[in-house]
Order: sequence, then structure tokens, then C-alpha cells
Amino acid sequence: MEKITDYQYALDVSSIVAITDQRGTIKYVNQNFCNISKYTAEELIGQDHRIINSGYHSKEFIRELWRTIASGKVWKGELKNKAKDGTVYWVDTTIVPFLDPEQKPYQYVAIRSDITNRKIGEEELRNTLKEISDYKYALDESAIVAITDQKGIITHVNNNFCKISKYTAEELIGQDHRIINSGHHPKAFIRTLWKTIANGKVWKGELKNKAKDGTDYWVDTTIVPFLNQQGKPYQYVAIRSDITERKRGEEQIRLNNENALRNANMLEAKNIQLVDFCNIVSHNLRAPLINIAMLVDYIEQSDNEVERLEVLGKIKPVVNHLMEVFNELVESIQVKQDTGIESERLVVQEYLDKVLVGYETQIADYKAIIETDFKEAPEVYFPHKYLESLLTNLISNALKYHSPDREPVIRVKTRKTAPKTIQLTVSDNGLGIDMVLHKDQIFKIRKTFHRHADAKGFGLFMTKTQVEALGGSIWVESMPDVGSTFFIEFINQTT
Amino acid sequence: MNSVKNLTLVDDDEIFVFLTTKTIRETNLVELIKVFGNGLDALNFLIENKDNPEALPEIILLDLSMPIMNGWQFLDEYASLHPDMGKKITIYICSSSISPDDIARAKNISEVSDFIIKPITKDKLVDVLKKL
Repeated sequence: MEKITDYQYALDVSSIVAITDQRGTIKYVNQNFCNISKYTAEELIGQDHRIINSGYHSKEFIRELWRTIASGKVWKGELKNKAKDGTVYWVDTTIVPFLDPEQKPYQYVAIRSDITNRKIGEEELRNTLKEISDYKYALDESAIVAITDQKGIITHVNNNFCKISKYTAEELIGQDHRIINSGHHPKAFIRTLWKTIANGKVWKGELKNKAKDGTDYWVDTTIVPFLNQQGKPYQYVAIRSDITERKRGEEQIRLNNENALRNANMLEAKNIQLVDFCNIVSHNLRAPLINIAMLVDYIEQSDNEVERLEVLGKIKPVVNHLMEVFNELVESIQVKQDTGIESERLVVQEYLDKVLVGYETQIADYKAIIETDFKEAPEVYFPHKYLESLLTNLISNALKYHSPDREPVIRVKTRKTAPKTIQLTVSDNGLGIDMVLHKDQIFKIRKTFHRHADAKGFGLFMTKTQVEALGGSIWVESMPDVGSTFFIEFINQTT
Repeated sequence: MNSVKNLTLVDDDEIFVFLTTKTIRETNLVELIKVFGNGLDALNFLIENKDNPEALPEIILLDLSMPIMNGWQFLDEYASLHPDMGKKITIYICSSSISPDDIARAKNISEVSDFIIKPITKDKLVDVLKKL
């Protein structure tokens, strides 16, 4: 008997206890019941149990409760009740029916425990969860999302990610994130990205990725590291948006600008050539024509037969000269228009040897020494006709303008100056050219810089025309009485 | 009556020099004609004779396109030289060039009186000589 009293005591202390009769009229409440319902025992006893009904539960729910206990079975569940002051509280409830000898319940003992805090917590959690899932929904709808662990192994991807990368989620999850690496970005760039997020900082930038089918796409990317208690990232959430169209537009604009610039440069070069050509026509063709006109005028006006014959004799050389200049011009224009001329791989040494044969006598007479170095670049890719004429011009100049004070030394050398560029140099220790005086004129037609009977001013002009027709360039460094070095750069070399 | 004592032609064009010399002689306006085939020879002569006004020309007919030193280069050198000259020298550019660039460039050189486009006629020559 004492044992039962002990149990009752323990129950009263620990739980909210109420006893009603079979109709639900309250017969007993303990102190805990009064505390939570804010009624006194006197206010409760004799009242229908619905006094604490909150109206929260559906009729069906309450009917089921009554059906259970009326049939003599124990009911367990969570109930929301209302206190005297109108506030509500949640109780975990067990109702035990006590049966008479006919097995009919004659009273119900309800044992409750307060779970209000838990319920509030649950509700808050539910709200928070709903908000979070709304956010997630919004994010998944709008962005390309992927989550990786701290090593970069993909743990989650959303639909948008699959759509743009053309992989399925199954193909991606468990893979290293580098599966979509396009290789476009420099190593230092990627290193900075990793350093940023590994330090727990958000990284933002534009990335070029590669889809499963090998096509590229651009994404504006934000990577947010999720940190553990120690402040170390345990996963990275990458949120991206597709900017491929914009990037293509930008690329197109860049290409267009480049093209425009190239065209402008080409036009400028053409324009310079045109001005040069205009000057050539203006001077080199017009001068002999004027000579002829003046000579003819003179003959017409002169009465002196001897003088007329003398002047007449002067016409022929001028006509020859005019013809010569005219032919040179035609030749140079042909080079400019000869865009179809074939380049081929040529062994420079072979061509030089061929040219040197033609100058054997002079080389012997002047005791000239020819030094060559073609180790670094033995071959050039160039039209053979032009290479021959170029070497002929440079070697013949080096011999023609040798210094009378020393034996000529001519050095011919090739070297690689850029991945697809070969530079040929021909240097001599000859008379040299006064660069201050003649800098702008060295490669112009009919410009000569030495008092030499054979100086015609056509060789370097032709050489320049040929080199430039193939996109190359030519320039010279020179010191009077020290020597000259001619530089020729061949571009677009296949080697 | 010779109005000009000394005239200098700086021109490498033999035909032009031959005919112009003849024409100048026919005008009977010039006592002495000196010819240089390039700018450098002319310049060296001027430097050598800067203190000898008798030898210096009153007028120079200067070609532009010449070997060794062309007309422009000659004018460049002469610009720094001419305050030392013992005589006022009038310079005419006489060129076959019809390039507007050349003509505009010549206008900007204070030492140059005018730009004569070849061919130069006898009338034009008399005109230039009488102006001195």
C-alpha cells in the first residue's frame, strides 16, 4: 500500500495529473495541473474537461481520442490546451481509462508533461526550414549551384549545373571539381582562387568551364566557404550564373577591334607605300621626262646646227635612263602584287654559296673574308627568287662599299628571335653609312650614299620591297668608316 | 651688263645643268656659274669661303633629290651656318618634284625664297635674276 502512495507522490511531482469521470467532468487535479492551466483546483473540480480546450485540434481528432478511451484503451498523443489567461500550452498526454466490472470506464486518469518549449522550438524550426527551403528553391531556380567538400570533390549539384555542364548528377557527384576545368585560366589565377576560399573568404570572379561535350561556357561565380567550429572550411558552395553570351559578345568586340586595328595598320602601310610611289613617280620619272622636254625645246629654238646636234645626242641617254627607272618600277610593283609567290624551305648556306660564286673575282681581289653562322637557324621559309636577290644585293653592297683601309670581313648569320621569326644579319667592316644624314632614305629608290660609279640606289629598295611583301622587315645599323649591319626578319617561319 | 656676279647650281642632273648653264649664259645677267653635284660639296665650298664674300654666290638654285647630301639636308646645315656668311645668299629650290608635301615643307624654311618646279624657262630665270 505504501508503495502505491510512493508512486502517486512521484507522479504528482513529475507530471500534470487530472482525473475525470466517464463523462469528462473533472474530479481531481494536482498542483502541476493548476500551475500550467493557471486555474485553482476549486475552479476546476466539477467542471467539464473542455474548460482547457484550445480549439486547436480537429473534431475528428478529439472524436478519435474519446472513441479510444471510451472503448477502454489507453490514448497517447500531444495536445494543445488553453490556460485561464488565454495563453496556450502543449502537453504530451497519456489517458488511462479505469474500468468497472462490466468493463466500462468509470474514470479517466490523464497524465501529461509540458512540451510547450519543445513545440515552440519545433515550430520555429519548421518555419526556419521552410524559409531555407524557399531560399534553396529560389537559388536552384535562378542559379547554377554546386557544393564540394574541402578537397574539391563534388557532393551536390543542382539541375542548372547539370544542364550547363551536360553531365548528369550521377556523373558529377564524387568527382573532382576539375572535371569542368577548361584549362583556360592561368595557374596563378586558380591558385589565388583556392587560397581565398581555403582561408574562409568568399571568392567572386568569372570562370571559363568545359562541358561534357567539350564546349566551353562562361560563368560568373561566387564561391562561399562553409566553416566548421574551428573556422576551417568543410565545404564550398559555388553559385554561378551563365555569362557565355556576354563573354562571346565581348570576345567578338575584341576580335573586331583587333581586326579593325590590323586593317588600319595595313591601310597605313599601303598609304605609306603609295606616298613613296607618288614620290618616285614625281621625281624619278618626272625628272628625265623634263630633261627630254627641255632638250627638245632647246633643239627647236636653236639656230646653230652644231649645237642642235650636240643637244640631240643627249636625248638618247636620258631616254635609256627613263626606260631603266620605268622597268625598275614595274619590277617593284610586280613584287607588291605577286602575292601568289610561293615560299619554300631554303637552306641559307646553299643560296649564299650560289651567290658567292658570282663574286669570286671581287672576293679574291679584295682579299675578302666571308664568315657564316647558320647553326641556330639553317633554313628560312621564303621565295627562293627573293632570297637569292636579297643575298646578292647585301653581299654585293658589302663588297662594293668596302673600306680601302682594311681587308673586307663579311659576316652572314641567322638566328631565331621569336618562335616563328628568323633574323638574318649581314655585317661588314666597310665604309658604313651616315645614319644621321641618310636614316630615312636607305631603302628608297635611286638613293645613293657613296661616291661610287656603280651606285644606283635600286638594290636595297628592291630588297625592302621583297621582304615587306612577305610581311617581314629590314633595317640597318651603321657607323661611317666602321661598317654596316643589315637585319632582315622573316616572319611566319614553319620551323 | 651683268647684274649677278656669282650664281651656284647645286644639282646632280647633268642634262639640267648643261641646259640651264646655257640658258643662264644667254641671259648675259650672270658673270660666273658654279656647279656642285650634291649638297655636301656645295656646303663645304660655302664653309671654306664664308669670310671671302667675293667667292660666295648671290644666288643658289638648289635641287632636292641628290646623292650624298640632298637639298633638305643641305638646308638644315645651312640654317645654322648662314648667320656667319659674309654675304646675303638667296636660295631658290629648283626641283622636278610636284609633291605638295615638298612645296609646303619648302615654304616653312625661311632661308628659301621660292620653290621653282622644273623645267625652268629662260623667262622665269630672267625674272628671278632681276629680282635680286
